[in-house]
Amino acid sequence: MLETISLKRKPGTRKDYDQVVTACCQECAVGCGLLAYVKDDRIVDIQGNEDHPVSKGRLCARGIAFVQGLTASNRITLPSSRNRLTGPFEAFDNWEQGIDLLAERLRRTKDQYGAESLVIACDPEAGLDFYLGAQRFAWLWGTPHVYHPFQEAADEAFPAALRHPTLRSDQWSQSRCLVLVEADLAATHPVAFQRVLEAQRHGTKIIAVDSRFTTTLSKADTAILIKPNSGNELGVALIKAMLEEQLIDNATLKDTYTALPMDRFESSTGLSSEKILTLARAIARRQPAVWITAKRLAFVPNYAIWSTLSQSMESQDAVGGWYPLESAIPQLVPTHGLDDMEPAIVRCDIVAFPYQPNNQWKNALDNAEVQALIGSGNCLVDFMAPLRKRVNDMDLNVYFGSFPNQTRQAAHMVFPTAMWAERDGISITNDGAVQWSPRIVKPNDACRTGLGFWMRLAERLGWEDYFPWKKANGMADHKAFYQWLFKNSPQTAELQMDSVCQENALVYWSRDMIADAPSKPELLTAPADTAKAPDAEDPSAYPLDFQATRAMTRSGDAAQWWPWTKELEDEMGIQIHPRIASALKIENGEPIMVASEEETIEGPASISRMVPPRLVWSLQRMRADHVLVYRKGQAPEEARDLLKAIEL
Amino acid sequence: MTAKTNTKLKRNALMIEGSACIGCQTCMTACKLEHDLPAGPRPIVAIQTGPLETENGLLSQYWPATCYHCDQPACVLVCPTGAMQKRDDGLVFSELELCIGCQTCAVACPFGHPKLNPDNGKIAKCDGCRERVDEGLWPACALKCPTGALSFGSAQDVVHQRRMKEAVKITQTITQTKC
Repeated sequence: MLETISLKRKPGTRKDYDQVVTACCQECAVGCGLLAYVKDDRIVDIQGNEDHPVSKGRLCARGIAFVQGLTASNRITLPSSRNRLTGPFEAFDNWEQGIDLLAERLRRTKDQYGAESLVIACDPEAGLDFYLGAQRFAWLWGTPHVYHPFQEAADEAFPAALRHPTLRSDQWSQSRCLVLVEADLAATHPVAFQRVLEAQRHGTKIIAVDSRFTTTLSKADTAILIKPNSGNELGVALIKAMLEEQLIDNATLKDTYTALPMDRFESSTGLSSEKILTLARAIARRQPAVWITAKRLAFVPNYAIWSTLSQSMESQDAVGGWYPLESAIPQLVPTHGLDDMEPAIVRCDIVAFPYQPNNQWKNALDNAEVQALIGSGNCLVDFMAPLRKRVNDMDLNVYFGSFPNQTRQAAHMVFPTAMWAERDGISITNDGAVQWSPRIVKPNDACRTGLGFWMRLAERLGWEDYFPWKKANGMADHKAFYQWLFKNSPQTAELQMDSVCQENALVYWSRDMIADAPSKPELLTAPADTAKAPDAEDPSAYPLDFQATRAMTRSGDAAQWWPWTKELEDEMGIQIHPRIASALKIENGEPIMVASEEETIEGPASISRMVPPRLVWSLQRMRADHVLVYRKGQAPEEARDLLKAIEL
Repeated sequence: MTAKTNTKLKRNALMIEGSACIGCQTCMTACKLEHDLPAGPRPIVAIQTGPLETENGLLSQYWPATCYHCDQPACVLVCPTGAMQKRDDGLVFSELELCIGCQTCAVACPFGHPKLNPDNGKIAKCDGCRERVDEGLWPACALKCPTGALSFGSAQDVVHQRRMKEAVKITQTITQTKC
């Protein structure tokens, strides 16, 4: 491979600073290293750490713009409460007063509706410590409802799949083929995407599959458009095609897969049989392949297909494997030591969360008698959207966050959060590396970390002994907390905190110690038939497909912490194909409505061929697979008739 | 492709490689933070063209667009107060204290680059991060670009780098070291 030497980078700042803090970006799971230039406890400049093994001086837009959120004028810095959801908030003088009232109100709700009426929603913005602390608190409280957007579905094949050997991202150039399935790394993880492009420069074939023509697809050698959420289905189709073409040989799988009708996949993925066969041959020719899958596939049936595919294509001399994004968090056990609790305490079974509007998940919440919510980030707009319509009738809504978003609008009580740059924490990368990231600046006096929140609340409820991680100044001791967690999980027991805290060193947790996992992940021998029952919606009434995924900005409060986010990515924007826009006489930027049977959203039209004609895409979430689009002010019936006249 | 082609020794150049750009907007974010700019003016922006329907399917490209720091800049010629200036090293910048926000420069610029900063009523345009460059640092957009689409150096080094990259591409195409 021929290389050129790049121009010598000359990093540094011209800003006046008195301290440089070396930390890890915690905006996503890539784990980039950064240098924060600090003056008078304020960050004056952020740069990539040139010596960091993951990012080598690179950060993405999120990784440098988070600074704006720390000092944003609309940031919430005092706890507050109100009796009615329509009334004004009254600020408490201090955090302790707020926690006193919260403990009292939670007790009342528990007495009236039972422990299981409490739901805790953990947006990543609140930190891993909030999620882990929530699990411990929930066990003590007796509710099974703890949700996190990266929480796995109850898929038995998954933990075992983590044990399967997989090329780390820094080794992707060794693979002959990278297949990215519904994973828009270029937009969501630009720094990690450089490893894809680096592999491409070394001759690795890049195949990208998605429902939209994303940036990742635009850079791929082969770009394939499929129907929304049909990535796993494509995996099943590929195994069938490879078995039939004798590109792979697996007696266990052969009968089941070859018996599947090919027309099932034509209708579920939108790809012709011929195209599926061509793709299967192209990938099989380039073994070993690495399958990089988006997190959202974990919430669609047949997720274990990727483990099955990578095992079926395994060769003796080289490793490919399955690389599921946002899935490399070890099995930490925050409920350790609670086994001998009184029998009345209910075991905390984590419920799979309703990420996409797939009917099999949303029932978990629909059937629950929810009366209290402790939610972080902008969870009611994002992964807790199923609760959105019910919160106004609930007994107690608590918002643990930083900005006045829609989740805060639905809250009775508000507690301000210390953002990640204001708390000690760990970063666990997609590759499974564990890094310590120290606090860069002090939080506002009334902002607390997630662990601090649960610790204070537990104290009020008489459970202080179960949250003993406290510094001499009374604040939460995150290092002691994580040290305790590492010690109590077989996968992390060998991690030495000193090594984890060492700058620019990557320490990996042990995938060989996954509890209860068979030596090899089980094969998906009986893929679920995902052919849909007849839609509840009338297809002619709602003729277009709808999908909401993340792109450049993360979940939570993007538009709040990034004052000019709308210039980068309009959170309200709704992407439609020019053919639809032309039929409905919609102009770019014009306000349009997207209606399903259950709800309607509004936003400016973004006309682009990134979406196929049938697809409507937005960052705004909706509980719908099928929708109708019309101009604001236009009669829906008129739009229906106009769409009937064109070919979708 | 270079933004500036003058090869005088003391001149620097920002090298733009559109093929490496992924439209991640980090350059724009870095610029905004470096110069403390509000919503509105964007001295650098990654422009997306497409997706367009072609014979080979959809095609989409990105290009970081910024000031070309022209050799004979129209913005400097038309500025009524002398705020818009060109340095010896080629950088074109607007002196804020002299700028009256008349936007004549914005009209004169063939690329429409200068924009009004609504916060202070003055022109915000790329100044090549002249203060950083004077201290021997890369401009913020180039330093923080995560893709290598933007890089920086002396005009000679940039031209040399570009030639080398093209040579490598041609060699790779001929030898096809891996398929």
